[in-house]
Amino acid sequence: MLGIPLKYNVRNLFVRKVTTSLTVLGIGLVVAVFLCVMSLGEGLTRVFTASGSDANVLVLRQNSQSELQSGISRDQVPIILTLPGLAQDTDGKPLASPELVIVLNLEKVDGGSSNVTIRGIGEKGMKLRPGLTLVEGRWFTPGKSEVVVSKSVSKRFKDCTVGQTIRFGAYRWTVVGLFDAGGTAPDSEIWTDVEGMITDFKRGGYSSVLARTAGRAARDQFVAGLAGDARLALEGKVERKYYDDQTSTAAPIKFLGFFVGVVMAIGACFGAMNTMYAAVAARTREIATLRALGFSRIAVLASFVFESLCLALLGGVVGCVFGLFAVKLALSGVTGTTNFATFSEVVFAFRLTPALLGTGIVFSLIMGFFGGLFPAGRAAFTKITDALRQVG
Amino acid sequence: MRFMPLVLKNLLRKKTRSGLTVGSILLPFFVICLLGTFVEMLDADPSMGRGMFRIAVRHKVSFANVMPASHLEKIRQLPGVKAAMPFNWFGGRYVDFSSFHVFQRFAVDPAVFFDIFDASAVVQGSAEAWRADRSGLLVGETLMKKYGWTLGQQITLTGDIWPGVYTFTIRAVYQGQSEASVFFDQRVIDEALPKSAGLYTMIWLKATDADAARGLIPRINALFENSPWPVRAETEKEFQNHYIALLGNVKFFFRSLTAVIATVVLLIAANTMAMSARERVTEVAVLRAIGFPRRILFGLLLGESAFLALFGAAAGLAIFVSLFPKMRAFVLMSPVAGLAAAFRIYPDVLAGAFCVTVLVGVLAGLVPAIRSVQRSIADGLRLVA
Repeated sequence: MLGIPLKYNVRNLFVRKVTTSLTVLGIGLVVAVFLCVMSLGEGLTRVFTASGSDANVLVLRQNSQSELQSGISRDQVPIILTLPGLAQDTDGKPLASPELVIVLNLEKVDGGSSNVTIRGIGEKGMKLRPGLTLVEGRWFTPGKSEVVVSKSVSKRFKDCTVGQTIRFGAYRWTVVGLFDAGGTAPDSEIWTDVEGMITDFKRGGYSSVLARTAGRAARDQFVAGLAGDARLALEGKVERKYYDDQTSTAAPIKFLGFFVGVVMAIGACFGAMNTMYAAVAARTREIATLRALGFSRIAVLASFVFESLCLALLGGVVGCVFGLFAVKLALSGVTGTTNFATFSEVVFAFRLTPALLGTGIVFSLIMGFFGGLFPAGRAAFTKITDALRQVG
Repeated sequence: MRFMPLVLKNLLRKKTRSGLTVGSILLPFFVICLLGTFVEMLDADPSMGRGMFRIAVRHKVSFANVMPASHLEKIRQLPGVKAAMPFNWFGGRYVDFSSFHVFQRFAVDPAVFFDIFDASAVVQGSAEAWRADRSGLLVGETLMKKYGWTLGQQITLTGDIWPGVYTFTIRAVYQGQSEASVFFDQRVIDEALPKSAGLYTMIWLKATDADAARGLIPRINALFENSPWPVRAETEKEFQNHYIALLGNVKFFFRSLTAVIATVVLLIAANTMAMSARERVTEVAVLRAIGFPRRILFGLLLGESAFLALFGAAAGLAIFVSLFPKMRAFVLMSPVAGLAAAFRIYPDVLAGAFCVTVLVGVLAGLVPAIRSVQRSIADGLRLVA
């Protein structure tokens, strides 16, 4: 079976410049909208999937979904620290940090306010999170009401640069440093020492204990030990899993992306169909000639579906370029939303991954396929005699 | 108006094309309406305008910090307070933590509950029965339907903030605001957890009138300014806004989406009009040669595109309105059910979307119409399609 040269279709797209470019733009915008919404969801998901370590176990009160809901009293901590499976620091002490988490409602730089997590960490807290780097100033000194702030929080909230004082009611904290956690969960937090914080907030205990275990077997042993100790009524969650469980925060955004994307795609698909019907109508005689020359119906069908796919692919590429520009230029800064599992702000950046771009292209090709199928069908089933008789 | 039949006739010449264009306008119109409704839903006053007298008091730091019961006593004694009660966020879980089983659970004081939420009415069971049973549960009507619960059924909730397993008996069902919540007696928690008895995450009160409410907010804030548990008092509306502000700039995001969608409609409609105009170059030239003035031909083409948009918007509107009860049911079952009471048809949103769509239709026809009437008659006649 002989196919119709692809060049025939490609060149036709360039002959009808205005129609082609309007359709391409339409498809492109739909793809761009889809990509922007999805990159928002992707950025948010990444914060959670990239956070936490497989070796760390987060100890929480039984049934607690987040650190905020959990509570661990002071007398429980020594019991936790003697459970088997914990890794030891060079000084012989267990690598574990009792922590207190409180959300503060702070004012944003651009107006409004949002909840920010302030976390008090124990002396081993830093060693448990090796991905953290100090980018400005120094770490806090315990007991002096000093805090370090993540770079992203510092950009989004008032009074959060080095040397400034965060005031909240009767509380005062001096910002002494900025840190960067590479887009993971601590990037949405303010850190200070846990004992100072307990005194400041008049708390009776901690929220959680983060502990490093020595390997997989030791980890399971530690978790089992926690579950088995009826005095404690605590449970251990692998830190990586704790954050993975919060990815559902991004689910509504992804749902919105798909919903808007699909409805708009059907709309754009109709647009592409219009264009292809016009392309077919204008070439009725040509098509009949092709058929008369011996090209099969299948070849004609394939040829026009291919043309529509080309049209959509152009649109998809344009959409990806729009999307890239939008994400790199207009949406390049960090943004935030609230994680309703922890009632505090998650700071994140839009992320347009190659996989997402690929999805965008596939999305446009689907539009092109369905947009081209019916017009191509009309072309393939034109009656040769009727069409050749047609004038014009 | 005389030319209306001609405009319609022209539209019917290419039925497939007109149909597809109407379809490609209809769908984005639908999305615009939906996004607009969501924005309005977030903006809506939860109490339908009656909330001014209701005040929410929480710890100044955040919802997650608690206040002692003595705060409630002090607030009760302030002049202008009609009733006050703990309004404790219970959290916890029902069955599991999946989003399907998310609904709001609050520990309150049943004795004054209906004095504060006076717009709510009991539709099954009775308020007396709820008050009489310490482990009684007051359930919103939406939630009853969602789970198919019946009066007298036992419901078990597992606590996280307030640890323990609690079993309640459904004693009353209410209608009114936010029908996707359950309420039970604060004393249940106090008795189960003596160590944290009398600690509240929120206190809600109802003022006698609007003036009293305005005065009470600064007064309550000042009252506890120097206490170890400073508070923040705000109206129900402010409280909700605050909650919605946590979502980030949703409104801006939705508005930008709407603008882009309108642009897509513009492109699609403009494309159709350009095609129609191109096919009728000779025809327009003939009409002009017969003596039709430019202005009428211009109007004909513009009218055609305006009609396409009008049909698209009208069909979209019809579909939106007819599907609305289904969508509302869907939203009511979702985790945002708390806001869904305000998910209703907003005539201004629909009217706005309608105007934008028709305007976009007229704009889309503008360039092809201008180009086609400006072509000289001789050029038009010479062109063989």
